[in-house]
Amino acid sequence: MEAVVEATNLEKTYGDTVALSRASLSVARGEVFALIGPNGAGKTTLVRALTGTTEPDGGSARILGASPGAVDRDRLGVLPQEFSPPGRLSARELLAYYAGLYDDARDPEDVLADVGLVDAGDTWYEDLSGGQQRRACVGSALVNDPDLLFLDEPTTGIDPAGRRTVWRLIEDLADAGTTVVLTTHDMAEAERLADRVGLLADGSLVAQGTPTDLVQEHGGSSRLTVETEAEPDAFADLAYPVDRPERARGRTPDNAVVVRDIDPAAIGSVVDYLEKREIEYTQLSWAEPDLEDVYLALADATERERTDRLESESGDADLAQAGETA
Amino acid sequence: MSRMGRVRAETSAGWRSFVRRRTAVFFTFFFPVILIVIFGALIRTDPTGEGLFTEPAAYYVPGYLAVVVLFTPLSRMGSEVARHREGSRFEKLATTPLTRGEWLLAQTAVNAAIIGLASLLILGLVILLTGAQIAFSPLLIPYILIGVVCFCGVGAMLGSYTDSQDGAVAASNAIGLPLLFLSETFISLSQLPSWFGPVVNLSPLTYFARGVRAATYAGAEVSTVAGIDPALANLGILTALAVVAFALGARSIPRTD
Repeated sequence: MEAVVEATNLEKTYGDTVALSRASLSVARGEVFALIGPNGAGKTTLVRALTGTTEPDGGSARILGASPGAVDRDRLGVLPQEFSPPGRLSARELLAYYAGLYDDARDPEDVLADVGLVDAGDTWYEDLSGGQQRRACVGSALVNDPDLLFLDEPTTGIDPAGRRTVWRLIEDLADAGTTVVLTTHDMAEAERLADRVGLLADGSLVAQGTPTDLVQEHGGSSRLTVETEAEPDAFADLAYPVDRPERARGRTPDNAVVVRDIDPAAIGSVVDYLEKREIEYTQLSWAEPDLEDVYLALADATERERTDRLESESGDADLAQAGETA
Repeated sequence: MSRMGRVRAETSAGWRSFVRRRTAVFFTFFFPVILIVIFGALIRTDPTGEGLFTEPAAYYVPGYLAVVVLFTPLSRMGSEVARHREGSRFEKLATTPLTRGEWLLAQTAVNAAIIGLASLLILGLVILLTGAQIAFSPLLIPYILIGVVCFCGVGAMLGSYTDSQDGAVAASNAIGLPLLFLSETFISLSQLPSWFGPVVNLSPLTYFARGVRAATYAGAEVSTVAGIDPALANLGILTALAVVAFALGARSIPRTD
């Protein structure tokens, strides 16, 4: 497949902060690629490096067969993350304005309908709700019917119904052959829309692949969550591994233990076990691993590596200082 | 879409955005009006024969016009650039076919329309309140247009090198006020220390003031430049400075973070 986006070893630092560290990726024509990662991981910097709105310190990037600064802008659509267009233009005027900047633009009325803003078309941007504003911004990236679309957190602040409108829109664009690179904190969004997902942490793409492959490789096992005050020791005789997840993992309530590697068909045996040992519980819930587990596992691993590295560097510095003092 | 089409789209958006900010519209026109009312009253009631405002009222027409030709582009462009930067609008525009020069041209067109209207108001008020005897030279139009181009370029630079709207407005005031009074608008060169002369010659507004005065005030004592009519010669100098300021202003507009 022809690569529409190709980045090799991109580097970018802001002072002491490393925003991108040897970040490489390739996105094929018609593919939807989602970048996920914690705040400050480098997602926006990577999008900027790929769209030519920041100059990387090292590495190379090509989009649509050209360097980002020299690409045919009629073929490119971009939604910056913190984009705030003129507030006193109506949604309709905004789309007409951005359409007016292109050689061959779509009818702004069609774009307005695509983003579900026909009824609010004459409302000034500053008077739209936050979700409507974001949808108008998404529309501004679509007016030129781009071949390559970069959407930096397109659904932030949009309510669930509006989010689904944007999702359907992106799916339609992808079906029509548009290549889409998007960033998101919404794992359901990435899982639903993306052909492939890249996880950025500390400026590096630590994992890339289809959501299914990533979940298989990094998502861990299925889990049965038992909301109970009992400690994992009370489950010592159960035939499955049991633990109480750290709070930082954030996917289970505080008063819960997790039974791992268990099929749904075996849930009855756990219920029998609980009743036999008179372990009180309030709720049972079973779940397959998903992209959020991948995110948490890899982000945690990267954070631990960073902490270890910093502690090691700090230890080295202390040793060196002690040596100098001696 | 042609270059003109892109500029038209940007101009249209800029114009609508401006006229819908009612306080901005009000104060854009109120500022020169209040200045004329104050200075006009001073001229009529306190002609002491020395110091400020001793010349006939028509002498000060370039000064009144300079209030809008200088201040409006400086403060509007400065804050517009800052507003665009804060809203990631340049980041967005950098990924469209619109160039920085086209963006500045569109903003300049918006400013030219505003300042053209304000200039008509000023000329009417000056005649009405001060009884100034003005020659309506067609050269007034290019002087105002080219002055706007020049100071839009300077304003774009101010907006680009300051880090906020507040900073841009403060910088435009800090630069605009000395320029307004030290460019032979309200204060003649003879009222300033002789060593200050070369500094006055560095201000683009000086050539605007000299040229407009030569074109509109029969009693003007403006020297010819290399034997050329001062109204035309100063327009030529102002044009050259405007081209440089516009080019530097367009170049200063951020395309990357």
